[in-house]
Amino acid sequence: MSTAVVVGVGNEFRRDDGVGPAVARAVSALGVRAEITDGDPVRLMEAWADADLVVVVDAVRCTPARPGRVHRVSFLDAGGSATSSHGFGVPEAVELAQALDRLPRRLVVLAVEVSDVAFGPGLSPPVAAAVPELVREVMREVATDVPGR
Amino acid sequence: MTHRANRTLRVAGLARVEGEGALHVRTKDGRVEDVALNIYEPPRFFEAFLRGRDYLEPPDITARICGICPVAYQISACRAIEDACGVVVDGQVLALRRLLYCGEWISSHALHIYLLHAPDFLGFPDGIAMAAEHRALVERGLALKQAGNAIMDLVGGRAIHPVNVRVGGFYRAPTAAELRPLAVRLRRTLDDALATVQWVAGFEFPDLDVPHDLMALRDTDGYPIDRGEPRVTTGLSFTAAEFGEHVVEHQVPHSTALHARLDGRMYLVGPLARYTLNSDRLSTVAAQAATAGGLGAECRNPFRSIVVRAVEVVYAVEEALRIIAEYQRPALPFLDVPSMVGVGHGITEAPRGLLYHRYEIGPGGLVVTADIVPPTSQNQSAIEDDVTRLVTSYLHLDDHSLVSLCERAIRNYDPCISCSAHFLDLTVDRG
Repeated sequence: MSTAVVVGVGNEFRRDDGVGPAVARAVSALGVRAEITDGDPVRLMEAWADADLVVVVDAVRCTPARPGRVHRVSFLDAGGSATSSHGFGVPEAVELAQALDRLPRRLVVLAVEVSDVAFGPGLSPPVAAAVPELVREVMREVATDVPGR
Repeated sequence: MTHRANRTLRVAGLARVEGEGALHVRTKDGRVEDVALNIYEPPRFFEAFLRGRDYLEPPDITARICGICPVAYQISACRAIEDACGVVVDGQVLALRRLLYCGEWISSHALHIYLLHAPDFLGFPDGIAMAAEHRALVERGLALKQAGNAIMDLVGGRAIHPVNVRVGGFYRAPTAAELRPLAVRLRRTLDDALATVQWVAGFEFPDLDVPHDLMALRDTDGYPIDRGEPRVTTGLSFTAAEFGEHVVEHQVPHSTALHARLDGRMYLVGPLARYTLNSDRLSTVAAQAATAGGLGAECRNPFRSIVVRAVEVVYAVEEALRIIAEYQRPALPFLDVPSMVGVGHGITEAPRGLLYHRYEIGPGGLVVTADIVPPTSQNQSAIEDDVTRLVTSYLHLDDHSLVSLCERAIRNYDPCISCSAHFLDLTVDRG
């Protein structure tokens, strides 16, 4: 049976870095399998074990940043190559999974530009404002991808 | 070029939100003038964050400090709060805690051995490159790690930031029937663990014996994991309550992490210290594996810490099997811990070394002050000292080789800086 899992990457005690976990919690409440990790490649790979579709939501720091802007990257059947200068762990996870044939059938990464990664809980206003649309985007991915639905 | 008298090696941190590490080495006239390891660590923030929180909250809050060793933070916090409230957890609840902690040791050590440390010995830039050529080996490492995760899933509720731990014990204790399939799996894991010792024992280890004082817990029986009292290779031993009289932290300008001194001296915690102070406490199988792996009664070469970790994995798997075999579900999964005004101390052996928590609980069960001394900040001075020794001995190497060696010296300690094998980027400042 086809399965989808949403992985929110980030640390909820580092302000905007908590955007991935915030989205994961929201879609989990809507009945989608969701996990929260800190981005360690091995744990990311474990989170998506046995899944056909994986949607990863992660924070990225850009210069100059437009907090709340979302970048979408997808990898199909290990076809994509990971290039990122952000070093949040997702590219490494993709490379490691490729080496071990553990990539999901389809992997979508939603990278959210953030500005405030100081200590503390809670998202900055522009990033918090992006969460509802991110949740809708994730739900669209899940609804349109999984065969049989 | 390789014999320039004045060199600056700078290893800048990759911008990871979870943590940043950087190393600066400066030589002048062919001598090492300065070594500064800059490790960024979050505990200070958590200490402030804990003030005013309910006394039952620290296990959940401090578990968030580290995604790799949340159990260590949870159990040290529980022990400190129980100490403050005059409650001692024992019997099967204590055994379950140790089982959970074994899961964390297995998982954390397997990750470090296979994906972070072994690539250094086999000449790969990182675990991903190693996986491409040694897939079966990396699969074995991941299977080991997943066995540790399975313990944490079952006892802790989930592998990352377990949710089942509470002050006094657990929210729910598993049944003996639930643990049985885990034992079947762990028998295979024991084979993998023993094969790991054999594998890493065959690596080549640079010569480096460190003279630092070593400090680890010493338990009334068994190898120290979830309990025990601090002991030092100088012969000193003291109670958890006396920790603050012996270990003093101070700020250094180049790092946000505090540096620690033990009675004014540089010291080391972690696998080398645990092994050197407790090798007589290993199980028979783990002790045999250690001997076959070339370890004596003591180990003072940080590069050989990979062998010690592998031996500790064997011990943790055996210990998990023993606990499961003897397990009887406790009538109550936790002891009631009513709040008391007072101060409590809790120390356990995190995979990276001794982890100390101290809480002062005030009226209404609110945390007045919190103090957390993690292993990496205790080891920071000793790591800098190792780097100084290596750079002094290997000054003839070119910058690239010298930086690689320095990075290896840091990785020997599995510092909790970042999860990546290539967390350090190099820039050479030729002044």
